[in-house]
Amino acid sequence: MTKTDLTMNHAFVLPNSGHKFDAKASKMGMWLFLYTELLLFGGLFIVYMAYRYLNQNAFLLASFELNVWMGTINTIVLLTSSLTIAMSITALQKGDTRLSIILAFSTILAALVFLVIKYFEWGAKFEHGLFPGMDHYNSLPYGERLYFYLYFFMTGLHALHVIVGGIFIGVVIRLIRKGRINKNRISLLENSGLYWHLVDVIWIYLFPLFYLIH
Amino acid sequence: MTVAALPQTNFFQIKKGIFSWLFTLDHKRIGLMYLYSVGLFFLVAAGLGVAMRLELLNPGRDIMSPQTYNQVFTLHGVIMIFLFIIPSIPAVFGNFFLPLMLGTDDVAFPKINLLSYWLYVLGALFALSTLMYGSGPADTGWTFYAPYSVKTGTNVTMAVLAAFILGFSSILTGLNFIVTIHRLRTPGMGFNQMPLFAWSLYATSWIQLLATPVIGITLLMIVAERVFGIGLFDPAIGGDPILYQHLFWIYSHPAVYIMALPAMGIVSEIIPTFAQRTIFGYKAIAYSSMAIAFVGYFVWGHHMFTSGMSGPAAIIFSILTFFVAIPTAIKVFNWVATLYKGSINIQVPLLFALAFIFNFMIGGLTGLVLGAVAADIHVHDTYFVVGHFHYVMFGGAGFAFFGALHYWFPKIWGRMYNMRMANIAFTILFIGFNMLYFPMLILGLEGMPRRYYDYLPEFHTLNVVSTVGSWVLATGLLLMIGNLIAGYLKGKAASANPWNGITLEWQTSSPPPLHNFDKMPELTKGGPYNFPNAKSTHKK
Amino acid sequence: MKNKENITSENHEQEHVSSYSELFGTWAALIILTGMTVFISISGANLRTLTIATALLIASVKALVVGFYFMHLKFETRLYRIMIIIVMALFTFFLIMVILDYLTR
Repeated sequence: MTKTDLTMNHAFVLPNSGHKFDAKASKMGMWLFLYTELLLFGGLFIVYMAYRYLNQNAFLLASFELNVWMGTINTIVLLTSSLTIAMSITALQKGDTRLSIILAFSTILAALVFLVIKYFEWGAKFEHGLFPGMDHYNSLPYGERLYFYLYFFMTGLHALHVIVGGIFIGVVIRLIRKGRINKNRISLLENSGLYWHLVDVIWIYLFPLFYLIH
Repeated sequence: MTVAALPQTNFFQIKKGIFSWLFTLDHKRIGLMYLYSVGLFFLVAAGLGVAMRLELLNPGRDIMSPQTYNQVFTLHGVIMIFLFIIPSIPAVFGNFFLPLMLGTDDVAFPKINLLSYWLYVLGALFALSTLMYGSGPADTGWTFYAPYSVKTGTNVTMAVLAAFILGFSSILTGLNFIVTIHRLRTPGMGFNQMPLFAWSLYATSWIQLLATPVIGITLLMIVAERVFGIGLFDPAIGGDPILYQHLFWIYSHPAVYIMALPAMGIVSEIIPTFAQRTIFGYKAIAYSSMAIAFVGYFVWGHHMFTSGMSGPAAIIFSILTFFVAIPTAIKVFNWVATLYKGSINIQVPLLFALAFIFNFMIGGLTGLVLGAVAADIHVHDTYFVVGHFHYVMFGGAGFAFFGALHYWFPKIWGRMYNMRMANIAFTILFIGFNMLYFPMLILGLEGMPRRYYDYLPEFHTLNVVSTVGSWVLATGLLLMIGNLIAGYLKGKAASANPWNGITLEWQTSSPPPLHNFDKMPELTKGGPYNFPNAKSTHKK
Repeated sequence: MKNKENITSENHEQEHVSSYSELFGTWAALIILTGMTVFISISGANLRTLTIATALLIASVKALVVGFYFMHLKFETRLYRIMIIIVMALFTFFLIMVILDYLTR
């Protein structure tokens, strides 16, 4: 008797099998993962809060170095990308695969725009020598150093999430094209959407904390 | 070859070869791979522990230099915490038995389960790599306190990255269990018909999920601080080391419950089976697991009473700490009440469960001493803490782990170990354990500080007792492991249900078939521990 | 067979499909809130604590809008709302206890 026979003859399958696809389990798993992401950034928010309290004037002074307009544009770009991925889900639910792909693709485009703007923002800071370890940075008072350190750490980690989210959506687009994600099996697209919205939510907090509190 | 012979094909036989194990999606095989890995690291770290006790046999230098001693106790802590206790019960017995107890054939995400195991291996390799290069493993203690962890020349970066990866593995296991419990319970099994082990895993998983990310990011900050040489926690450059301690203990205190809660779940399984009667206060035990998980988030500050935290914060944390005692005591009273008037069948698993209660009581009550600000200030960072900690972790979680191993051994391997030998090994283990750790409580009260390779001459006698205890303990451990291996190799065949248990895992053959059940498992009416032939019920 | 049907019917429970206009409205609200928070920040530079509070308040309203409409929390079962409330409550507690230590040190 061969191995396949052994498994093939195993006719009985439990109704609640872990090997069956379960859309609800998939969604719940994604949400649980989002909680861990929230608390990952949460640790950084705790650090931000403690050091903002200890160095109020330094944080205020340092925050004027950031360009509010670039931040605002980036916020709008991200919010719009959230809209397009949400619409992409609706499109696929309604069965319009083509529109769904176009919308998901525009989310990736928005992610790229976000990263390009971020690149110029960071570039300007590098020119001023504000990256941790650079000469100008080292001449700043401690409070301002902490501010820039946290700025680079938090927006950097966020940018990393933007990249990961973009790749995730890219994979999802490929699977929609192959038909593996479709009207009846939409979980992965929904999950990529959830992840993308989380990236958005984190930025919603980062934006005022670093750019707006003057 | 007839179809009727098929139920005899268990999950060991269905596929052979090393790759059928390494890339298996079967929760039982993943659980066993965890068991072998975790067991290996336990032996390594226990060996380091024995070496430390040997160094402390006499005042002054015996077998290692102060620096080596610092590295040994750090390695002992890191391995025991991150590579043994945290994954031990959830990843080994949780993986193996949670789906069986819920009457399903696997966890909700089998691939993520395998990923979680491989992340564990990767993390272990990172941790072991610190031995190989530079100035050796970290010497900071397992807590990696800043600013020392930022300044020391030992391989802290690698050790910290190892903890980060292991944390990720732990998160994925927790995530998997929560979804499994929500989605894969057998039809008819509500949350309140779940075995208590599943409840304890549910509570544990929430801790793994919500606490671990905080330490992940904290450890990344330590890495960044070391690699880029710029400070978040070093006071010399504007940081605040107490903030590191806050972040560290926001994870690491709940992590203590990651270790203890599943152990309580195991005891809640063993006791009704060997008392042959329904558990007293099912809901109280189930919900107290959730309560411990919940309250466990609010008490981290009690590790920091002497660190320079503010007085009011210390008092609030101290008060909150006492609340943990309530759900813990509820459990203990319910276990004892379950035994009362039961038809007690004294077997090794029950002995381990009783030893758990005994040790955990000592651990828990000394914990209250440490939880009170005024008392803690006197015994902080003394051997009292070491004793307390090991009573909870080793005497509690460790003994429950061994108990579970003896309880489920016939189910996992379909064989039985030698009972007489198991009893002897247990007795030696129990005596050795108390001989090793009880003197530490006294030494701590007398003022012997921890984490030194040396001590004043007046502490000599008790240190000798403790070191001899470590030898007794090691003997017991080796006997126990030898007995289990002998049972695995040539023990006599065990029936599907040798202890007459009634949770669902006992309804399938031993070892279980690949898909766990060949027919629908049947739920017992009136709760998971409603023994049909019980002599008495708890109804008045 | 009967059980199998149960499982599939459970999976076919009607998912909420957001209409394009609903999503577009959500987006418009988020943009308006962003405009508000930027405006307050630029014009109200003298009211420091007020700007922190309003900035965080507006951010939280935005996060709720994203969560409820884009992430479908509004249309999920109660379980999801309970879970997120517990997670956020825990995190808020962390913030409160840490800042309490600093405020009273």
